[in-house]
Amino acid sequence: MADALVLRDLGVSLADGDRGFALRVPELSIAAGETVGLTGPSGTGKTLLLELLGLLRVPDAGGVYRLCPGDAPERDLTALWTRRGRIARLRGRLFGFVPQTGGLLPFLTLSENVALPQRICGRPDPGLVRDLIDRLGLGPVAGLRPERLSIGQRQRAAIARALAHRPRFVIADEPTAALDPENAAEAMTLLFEAAGRTGSAVIVSSHDLDLLGRFALTRYRLALDPDHAPGRPVSRLVAAEDGPEAA
Amino acid sequence: MTLLVTLALRALFRDWIFVFCNVAVLAGVIVPLLVLYGVRNGVYDALIGDLMANPATLQIDTAGNQSFTPADLAEVQGWEDVRFATLKTRSLFDYVNVRATGGRGRQEALIAPSGTGDPMIAPLPGLGPDEVAVSPALATQLGLSAGDGVEIFTQAENRPRQLVLNARVAGVLPPGRLDGRVVMADIGLLDLIEAFYDGYALPEHGIDSGKPLADRAGSFEGMRVYAAALDRLAPLQDRLETRFGVRTLARTAEVTSVLTLGRNLGLALALTVAVAAAGLAASLIFGFWGEVVRTRRTLANLGLLGLPQWQLSLFPVVQALVTAVLGLCVSFLLFRLTAALAERLFETGLTERGGLVSVSPAEALAIAAAVIAFVGCASLAAARAALATDPATVLREET
Repeated sequence: MADALVLRDLGVSLADGDRGFALRVPELSIAAGETVGLTGPSGTGKTLLLELLGLLRVPDAGGVYRLCPGDAPERDLTALWTRRGRIARLRGRLFGFVPQTGGLLPFLTLSENVALPQRICGRPDPGLVRDLIDRLGLGPVAGLRPERLSIGQRQRAAIARALAHRPRFVIADEPTAALDPENAAEAMTLLFEAAGRTGSAVIVSSHDLDLLGRFALTRYRLALDPDHAPGRPVSRLVAAEDGPEAA
Repeated sequence: MTLLVTLALRALFRDWIFVFCNVAVLAGVIVPLLVLYGVRNGVYDALIGDLMANPATLQIDTAGNQSFTPADLAEVQGWEDVRFATLKTRSLFDYVNVRATGGRGRQEALIAPSGTGDPMIAPLPGLGPDEVAVSPALATQLGLSAGDGVEIFTQAENRPRQLVLNARVAGVLPPGRLDGRVVMADIGLLDLIEAFYDGYALPEHGIDSGKPLADRAGSFEGMRVYAAALDRLAPLQDRLETRFGVRTLARTAEVTSVLTLGRNLGLALALTVAVAAAGLAASLIFGFWGEVVRTRRTLANLGLLGLPQWQLSLFPVVQALVTAVLGLCVSFLLFRLTAALAERLFETGLTERGGLVSVSPAEALAIAAAVIAFVGCASLAAARAALATDPATVLREET
């Protein structure tokens, strides 16, 4: 598989008075259609890394963040932050997001929520919307608003929405955190299956190592440098070995 | 943009209770102001209308025996505040006898000078040298109508013969403009009558004896002037008196009183509007801003899905403008109901021209545009807050 997203020596730093936090990504390559699992203890910056990947956070200067489509010239994504006006559109086209709690718009029906990314990207495909809704078992509730759905249904709807515009990458931030183990496994299975059909790569963060262990994923782990300065921790991304590890 | 508007409206009407609150706030301020404005208009228009119904309201007459020349008249006619001016002959000779040509009855009538542009004879543009306009009373008593011929008789004590002038009735004046029997004629005709009384020969009218008319000096006892507008009456009266050192008569006190009332009502209304607008602005600014804070996850979600930040900033603006339109519709509806109720309650018969509460369509349109602009401005703080929305909020915050 050709690399689709390449990060090298990329970092992001946060500061709040005397306190600070830094995330360092020495090397990360995500290929088209690949499934990537991201783990790490709380406070190591899993969400921050997903924000960095999803063009939601400005990277520190000096690193590499490149889009390598294979069928088109490479694109330096760090350069986008100098002209921010185009970031939102590109983010909308490149990425689909599955937040922890669904993130559906409360004033739209389930099917309208799923179709929304297509409308924003200007790529309407009602057939794919129907197909995703059916495959995720949401047909009977497609006309309901999120408030009428169960948490599991909302999470599946969020998965359908994340894939509806055929993004190259789906970013899922602890998508099963609010679900019981049975529904969590089902939702994760549906996410990987549906992403496989649309050809999207999936980057999923989770504390649930047992759950991630059920799927064939390229796994990465975030861990704090042991010798960081007081009040200024540094978290670093490393490739994780297969097998049990602390989350 | 269509998508943005659609989403903004869907979000707005899902939380209809907030829309209702904002519409109620708008209507609660706009309706009383509309009623105040309407009453101010209705009362003031009625008073002004009553004044303007009679062109004599704008009239300034010189009092006593003065001496004006045609050059004086030309000077006054050149003043910008003057709509019409004419010289007057001596009031001693103001009365004539009038008879319809071929008729038998005569009526004594007051004769007054007129000319082109005289508001007293409107809509007649002016009078020719042998034309007259007659008051409704005189027309009725002599059976006159436009186009009829009349004979005007004048008898002086020291003259052996009557002066008889033939004229054509150019028109009958509208009812209510001049009371009693009045003939309005060109100043040349009145000057002829005055010359007759002064003992001059008028051979073309059968008066052969007397002084030669060529020896007569062109001097007139007075002047009648009409101001261009109500608010120009007092300044024009002052100017006339100062320029010619004469005393004048006009309805200035009455006109000034009504204009002052209008100005004071306008000031009171402006003060009320300013205070109400300040309160409304504070309410709307914080209301719209609070709405953005309340729905920041929705905005962040849209940003996450690829809607640019500048479009997010328009989200509350669109909602505010739609709220403004709804508020205006409700306000004008309630205003109409209130106005109808006021008319029914008071039954003042204040004016035949309009009601007690009056707002014209043009004024309503201007008010609507001002309210929409006002609400749009009030939503700018909310737009700024929406512009600062961080799409990452969706990933970071739990519901």
